[in-house]
Amino acid sequence: MATHALNPAAATYSRGRLYEWLTTTDHKKIGIMYVINSFLFFLIGGVLALVVRTELAAPGLQFLTDEHVYNQMFTMHATMMIFLFVIPMLAGLGNYIVPLQIGAPDMAFPRINALSLWMLPLGGILLVSSFFTGGTAAAGWTSYPPLSLDGPLKSPGSGQDLWIVSLVLIGTSSILGAINFLVTIFKMRAPGMTLFRMPIMVWTVLVTSVLVLMATPVITSALVMLFIDRNYGGTFFDPFGGGSAVLYQNIFWFYSHPAVYVMILPAMGVISEVLPVFSRKPLFGYKAFIFATAGIGALGFSVWAHHMFTTGSVFLPFFSLLTFLIAVPTGVKMFNWVFTLFRGQLTFSTPLIFAIGFLSMFLIGGINGAFSASVPVDFALHDTYWVVAHIHYVLFGGSVFGIFAGLYYWFPKMFGRMLDEGLGKVHFVLMFIGFNLTFFPMHMLGLQGMPRRIADYASDAGWNDWNMAATIGGFLIAASILPFIWNVFVSLRNGKIAGDDPWEGNTLEWATASPPPPYNFDHLPEIRSERPVFDARHAQTGH
Amino acid sequence: MTADSHALAPVEHTPIAGLAHDARGGISNPILGMLLFITSEVMFFAGLFAAYFSTRANFVDANGVKEWPPSQFAEILNPFSLILVATVILVLSSVTLQMAIWAIRKDDRRGFLRNMAVTFILGIVFLLLQAYDYSLLFEDGLTIGSGPFGTTYFTLTGFHGAHVFGGVIMLGVVLYRGMTGQFSSRHHDAVEAASLYWHFVDVVWILLFTILYFL
Amino acid sequence: MSTSPRKRPAPDVLIAGLVVVILVALVLAVFLTGWGKTLYPPDAVTQQARDVRGLYDIVFAIGVAIFLLVEGLIVWSVLRYRRRPTDTELPAQTHGNNLVEVIWTVIPTAIVLYMFVISWQTLNYVDAVSASPDIRIHAIAGQFQWQFEYLDRDGKKVASQLAPAYDAETGAGGMAVPVGRSVQVTLDSPDVIHAFYVPRFLFKRDVIPGQTNTFEFTVDAAEAGQVFRGQCAELCGTGHRSMLFSVIALSQSDYDTWLKALIEKSNATPAPLPSGTVLNVTAEGIKFDAASLEVPADAPFAIAFSNKDPAGVPHDVDIRDSSGTVVENQETINGGTSANYAYTPLPAGTYMFFCSIHANMTGTLTVK
Repeated sequence: MATHALNPAAATYSRGRLYEWLTTTDHKKIGIMYVINSFLFFLIGGVLALVVRTELAAPGLQFLTDEHVYNQMFTMHATMMIFLFVIPMLAGLGNYIVPLQIGAPDMAFPRINALSLWMLPLGGILLVSSFFTGGTAAAGWTSYPPLSLDGPLKSPGSGQDLWIVSLVLIGTSSILGAINFLVTIFKMRAPGMTLFRMPIMVWTVLVTSVLVLMATPVITSALVMLFIDRNYGGTFFDPFGGGSAVLYQNIFWFYSHPAVYVMILPAMGVISEVLPVFSRKPLFGYKAFIFATAGIGALGFSVWAHHMFTTGSVFLPFFSLLTFLIAVPTGVKMFNWVFTLFRGQLTFSTPLIFAIGFLSMFLIGGINGAFSASVPVDFALHDTYWVVAHIHYVLFGGSVFGIFAGLYYWFPKMFGRMLDEGLGKVHFVLMFIGFNLTFFPMHMLGLQGMPRRIADYASDAGWNDWNMAATIGGFLIAASILPFIWNVFVSLRNGKIAGDDPWEGNTLEWATASPPPPYNFDHLPEIRSERPVFDARHAQTGH
Repeated sequence: MTADSHALAPVEHTPIAGLAHDARGGISNPILGMLLFITSEVMFFAGLFAAYFSTRANFVDANGVKEWPPSQFAEILNPFSLILVATVILVLSSVTLQMAIWAIRKDDRRGFLRNMAVTFILGIVFLLLQAYDYSLLFEDGLTIGSGPFGTTYFTLTGFHGAHVFGGVIMLGVVLYRGMTGQFSSRHHDAVEAASLYWHFVDVVWILLFTILYFL
Repeated sequence: MSTSPRKRPAPDVLIAGLVVVILVALVLAVFLTGWGKTLYPPDAVTQQARDVRGLYDIVFAIGVAIFLLVEGLIVWSVLRYRRRPTDTELPAQTHGNNLVEVIWTVIPTAIVLYMFVISWQTLNYVDAVSASPDIRIHAIAGQFQWQFEYLDRDGKKVASQLAPAYDAETGAGGMAVPVGRSVQVTLDSPDVIHAFYVPRFLFKRDVIPGQTNTFEFTVDAAEAGQVFRGQCAELCGTGHRSMLFSVIALSQSDYDTWLKALIEKSNATPAPLPSGTVLNVTAEGIKFDAASLEVPADAPFAIAFSNKDPAGVPHDVDIRDSSGTVVENQETINGGTSANYAYTPLPAGTYMFFCSIHANMTGTLTVK
């Protein structure tokens, strides 16, 4: 980019732009590449979801005549959306924003940062390659053994093995990324940036990194044990060889429940940046918000078995109680956000609209989560489309709306140009309607008894209308992505020039150029609160 | 590697607060990074140990007998054998490594290199002994596919062995860099980080040895 | 809370308030009319299910109340606090309010603790298993079929039947239970994890290989003669969607008749083999022992079929012609049993024999 002047040494070994991007250790370029990589897998995962929805639009097997292919589709959809889209997308936003927000020149370990990035496309390519090597994994993203073990009618073939290897790679990338974030946040903060002056985004990335650091290695251990069972005659999860099928579920959910917070906390961080800026008020209850985040992180480790209420082998009241309790810090955050809007002066730019979309949709995802915390109610709802609705209200209504809020918010910082507001609003409206049309009916389907992961259903079961609605909604979501892509391409060339601080931001990323030069800052404003740029702006105007 | 990237951080064109803050003291970036990495490794082994204890608690052999280790393998898992020698060697290597650390902290490069070399060799000897021990177990018919005991035994010791292997490579790199004179009392983060990792691997082995052979 | 820096024009408040009231009224109208019914589980048919339903109604009411409160606040704020061109000064910079924050921590805590306690109470009833139930049934879920074994009071098997989806015409194929009696079901799987799920029981329980799960229910007396759909709810492979079964609620006397007929059928000796060509086919490890078979054209033939897989893994030997039409359809038999299948004469040609449960079990049948 046009910042060579600041970095005379770089000019002497300039090797062309592609080479520069492929070998860069600059956290900003790495962050952008994280985002692009994740977005590509979002598109692939989205197409897979459309395949699933097309099949389910009406009773009968019309579109995919082979049920095995159907199982591959939803398995790969969830795997890609979770491990190759939401988690790395948020890690990418964090990668770009965290060093800027704490006034650091880069991440603590720039080369390890590049390693974390490049492991992702590698893992993704391995996963996608299983489409061409005899079929992908088809045992669901949870891949419960014995179904995921080797054998006829279970999971023969290399697809499941490639799935394991790919997830171990992606997991390792996450762990290295988490170490990098933690060291960066603990050691690289600018003078004056005390822990309780850090932006909420940084706090959420901090808690997320602790979750990743403690939980991801545990799923890695489950995955290698599954690999050993499949390939070397191991018996960890083989109930007929002396192993235990439920053991895998315990280890898997010990990771995968905290993983839900890995996917939602940074999105909450984004929202907590956007809401104050566009309501011209500080976040209501900054410290309470931090304690709530830490509380969610801590509780997140002790609720894993609420995914296993129907297995008949977990201590139900304990996990039920803790799962209910996790609603409290989440509720605190919800009130903090709403009271940030309250009595503010709201400017309805696209980032704020997506943030409000997050608030109203994540609210539903939080409330219907309480249904599943109630064990007897969960007996009725578990493994039905109700759960599919719940997870999408959290991970789509929450994380994805948060991600788009973040992309619209920080795009001007990343590329120096504004995204088009009109297209952004079209994107939001289409996505909001499509999202609710797709996922709200799934509540009804689940209540009426439609199990997840079935390729077909009886035409007289009463599920036809809701399924058709969900399919139409799914295509509406797909359509909503088109104006976004168009917007990005047009705005990269012709967008309005953003300037350093187009939104009147609060945090340090708005104190440098857009895009920021290598090593980020020429000088930093004085940091006396969690809103240093706000302080500087209003010190000048004498406020 | 981690120390390297830190050392190469382009100080000349970063008139920035971040690094200055870093230099204010406290734990250094590479060492904090290594401690966090070890935390994640602890969780990895925790997963494996959890699986081991679960398998062991559920184990019933073909005759319905609840005995661990299964009687046919009880004999070959004698703790007072080659494996004890390997254990002593690994513990010794931690001692020599610590002596190397103390040496480099006092700028005693000869002592540092000597102790590093001994540690490196002890690490290799441990790996060779473990490989030999595996070959004996294979002869006796204990493999990763021979039931829950074989699966857990080889998975736990195998992953530990892989970590020792990684540690030996780390020690080799440190030794090589030491021989080219890259470390001093003021600059030896890589040595400290590698030693933390090596001690961790040692502790895991002592746990493994106790659990597999004595419990 | 601090006061607003400036008085807002009144219409703003009116419009925002009106919209919120209308939205709340709309949502409430949905719940009070027929439309809202889809947001409740279907009508319960067991005593346990009615308890779960009562609990659901409470949780749902709390959920809707919280939803309306927070969503109302959001909509209110969005409409009321738009930035206007005249807003040059900053709004009051409220950083928080300890009292308010304590309130919205304590009240939700109380609410979730209340929900936990009532859930726990319901759980103790729903999850209870008695020592001497009226009826014992052993359900075995194998890929991809359910099998129900009827046990006597000592737990000894007296009859068993495989369960394809309930066939209304023949009245066969489901799990029959008497109404008003406590039924205890034990669950086992010979292969992968399945789940026993009957939506109108508001209940499901995983069927886990290597672990026997037990649950109990009592169907309401008023439901005699009703048939309830059931389905596997845990992904179990390529036949997951077709793992259906029915629960048939019968009066005590109808149930006794039904069970007697089933016992007689179970005890019947297999039909003797007809004369003509007899082939031996064995299924083991979800595989046939033969990849190809040969029989003479236009003559009846038979297969002495032996299923050596464990109990709960059913197989059969059906025949499909080259166009894919099924020309012979035999009853599946359970693992560990054998049967004599008689087939009608087939014209010369190449056919495929296959197991109707397991898609990977196929072979070539040459008729000449």
